Amino acid sequence: MLKYILKRLILLIFTLFLVITATFFLMQIMPGTPFNNPKLTPEMIAQLNKAYGLDLPLWHQYLNYMINATHGDFGTSFQYQNQSVGMLIGQRLPISAQLGAQALVIGVIAGLFMGAISARNKNNKIDGTLGVVSTLGISVPSFILAIILLYLFGFKWPLFPVSGWGDSFSESVLPTIALAVGPAAIVTRFVRSEMIEALSSDYVQLARAKGLSEKEIVNKHAYRNSMIPVLTLIGPMAAGLLTGSTLIENIFSIPGIGQQFVSSIPTKDFPVIMGTTIVYALMLMVMILITDILTAIVDPRVRLQ
Amino acid sequence: MDTWKKWAIGAAVVVVAGAGTRAAGLWGGSNGSDKDTLNLTFPTPIQTLDISKNTDQYSGTVIGNTGSNLLRVNAKGKTVPDLAKSVKVSKDGLTYTATLRSGLKYSDGSKLTAEDFVYSWQRIVNPKTASQYAYLSSGVKNADAIVAGKEDVKNLGVKADGNKVVFTLERPLPQFEYLLTFANFMPQKQSFVEKQGKKYGTTSAKQIYSGPYKFEGWNGTNNKFKMVKNDNYWDAKSVKTKEITWQVIQKPETAVQLYKQGKLDRTTISDTPELYKANKNNKDVVKQPEATTSYIEYNQTGKNKFLANTKIRQALNLATNRKELTDQVTSGISTAATGLAPEGLAKTASGKDLAAYVAPGYKYDATAAAKLFAEGLKEVGETKMSFTITTDADSPAGKSTLDYLKGSMEKALPGLTVNEKFVPFKQRLSDSQTQNFDAVVSLWGGDYPEGSTFYDLFKDGASYNNGQFKNSAYTKAVEKAETTDALNASARDEDYKEAEAALYKDANINPLYFRSKYALSRSNVKDIIINTTGLNMDLKYAYRK
Repeated sequence: MLKYILKRLILLIFTLFLVITATFFLMQIMPGTPFNNPKLTPEMIAQLNKAYGLDLPLWHQYLNYMINATHGDFGTSFQYQNQSVGMLIGQRLPISAQLGAQALVIGVIAGLFMGAISARNKNNKIDGTLGVVSTLGISVPSFILAIILLYLFGFKWPLFPVSGWGDSFSESVLPTIALAVGPAAIVTRFVRSEMIEALSSDYVQLARAKGLSEKEIVNKHAYRNSMIPVLTLIGPMAAGLLTGSTLIENIFSIPGIGQQFVSSIPTKDFPVIMGTTIVYALMLMVMILITDILTAIVDPRVRLQ
Repeated sequence: MDTWKKWAIGAAVVVVAGAGTRAAGLWGGSNGSDKDTLNLTFPTPIQTLDISKNTDQYSGTVIGNTGSNLLRVNAKGKTVPDLAKSVKVSKDGLTYTATLRSGLKYSDGSKLTAEDFVYSWQRIVNPKTASQYAYLSSGVKNADAIVAGKEDVKNLGVKADGNKVVFTLERPLPQFEYLLTFANFMPQKQSFVEKQGKKYGTTSAKQIYSGPYKFEGWNGTNNKFKMVKNDNYWDAKSVKTKEITWQVIQKPETAVQLYKQGKLDRTTISDTPELYKANKNNKDVVKQPEATTSYIEYNQTGKNKFLANTKIRQALNLATNRKELTDQVTSGISTAATGLAPEGLAKTASGKDLAAYVAPGYKYDATAAAKLFAEGLKEVGETKMSFTITTDADSPAGKSTLDYLKGSMEKALPGLTVNEKFVPFKQRLSDSQTQNFDAVVSLWGGDYPEGSTFYDLFKDGASYNNGQFKNSAYTKAVEKAETTDALNASARDEDYKEAEAALYKDANINPLYFRSKYALSRSNVKDIIINTTGLNMDLKYAYRK
């Protein structure tokens, strides 16, 4: 087990290195300069490039970046003058992560419940209704839902604040719901099909034959086993949610990292693009690793190698 | 087990909803009618408080209201003394001497001296600072050489002499008095800047304030902060508002709703044509010109032989219906252009709007256009013409502007084909600078309220002359304005009028529209000063009645 984790970690570092390298060179294809002022003449741009070391040959810039990065220095933003990338991300990531974690917890719990209810009422009205609801939840994009929530609970019945972050918990309610519905719907569908399969499996038949109560069968046997595949789903979902949703952050003016990532691209803010890409890549890989390990713990049939 | 879970979830939901609504109630109650407080909004996050390095308009609004300069622009657009008691100009216009008021202090109580102005000017031209606005100091003695790294910062023509700041210029600069109001040149204390080092201006605690307000509660990335009256400001008695709360609201529709709920005192409505149409009849609407002109540049290097022909360019200009363009494309938010210099940019010596005064008579005349077009085609020996107009792919109005131009030009000029090309903003800039275009829609905003901020664009050899045309009558008129007439405002107005006429005659460019904004502004909030250049929104005198 330990050997496996170590092996995966080495692979992770190698992948990260590839991601950094690819992003660094792909960025060069983008047009223009990282300077915001459109009035700069070519001479002024040349002077600024010199001041920021952007006039060096590409391999040299790459080397500098890699050396600094290994020392934990990811550069300074061009757009946010003087702000280090570490600080920008360090302040924004926790906000996105909190929002994502809230959405994930609510989404997964709701999904587990609805999935189980759906499976136990297979093909009757409750199942049908939940089926429609979860299909809607999967197909309606979170930003559309966000706008609907904003209109209903922000303006029509002003129960919750419509923008901002950090003053009170209530500010996070609407964005959390908007983000949670998608995962909830996906988990519902997943749990439903897994559970229906589990309920007709041999070991449940055996449990029934043993004369266990339906409640015990569902809770002890069917539910537990149908949760294993959900685990594999949560990993990538968590990576996506924790690293922020650009659109939701924009709609509710939440100063998270998703917003930062998108605004850094058209402004060609090199260090921020690099920094956020690294965070995204790292988050995804770590989540997948954790999922793999957890799956092995929960399901003894899976052998790590 | 099952029931237990249900209860737990049920309880959690009740707690969440309860806490939410209660906090929402608290949140809603704190803003609104408080007499000492104004509630305002920015559409994008604040980027920096670094006085020398800022390029962002909204960060500039913060810097400009929490800082002060030697002069300040008043409601009539004229400069009045601020930190300076007086500013005297020598007869040749080459020396400006500013005398500071006595007892000036920063928000932290430290002394504000003439040295702080010298340091601020030296800092912005220092190549190590790498400020993107260093070029604004061009014309101050040695500024260009210092920016280029060829001269020591110490030799800049800005010196302190007791409580006086003395500026030495290389040539008379008609706009210089306005530079003395600019946020990028506000005083900075060397010891403070150096102590903060790399963190200078990255949070509200990492800056000291010389202006009407102090800035509080900004950690570098958050979206809610405030300006609080600065009691150390020399003119604090004129500042009637104790606190201005700011929140970043990125969805303009949300900001408008909050305005209607009374939670904001001002917000823009011209972000999208839809939002504007839905709100333009509100009684609180105010117009806010931006001193920005949108115009087509024609590539006149000969790369496109049609566009090198004057008659064809004249035909294209005559075939442009600017009124219809602004009505259809911007729903009337922008104003049809009457020349290069935009409305609201500057006033003439007699107090008229410069744009109206210099307007050379751009008009729409399809018949005259078709006639000139036919003559032009004969001159280049062709019967058909096609050319490509480039514009920004990332601007919402880009596509509709080009669609309109294509449709109307092709209709007015038989034999013409207009192709559309959309590239990202940054690509457009580099394509323009390398003449990689036939015609390109450009946008220029003024830096200061004086004609040269626009007329410098197309002088012979100017780096912004992307079409690379040579118009000697134009260059002559502009150079006269900046040399012999530099100290004579009314003669300068005449020169600019001549320059506009020369541009019009040769049809070197095609002005399309002057960009404007519209805002909703609470009628009982008085004395917000809106400037088209420099400090966009001056809140020094703003108060709620």
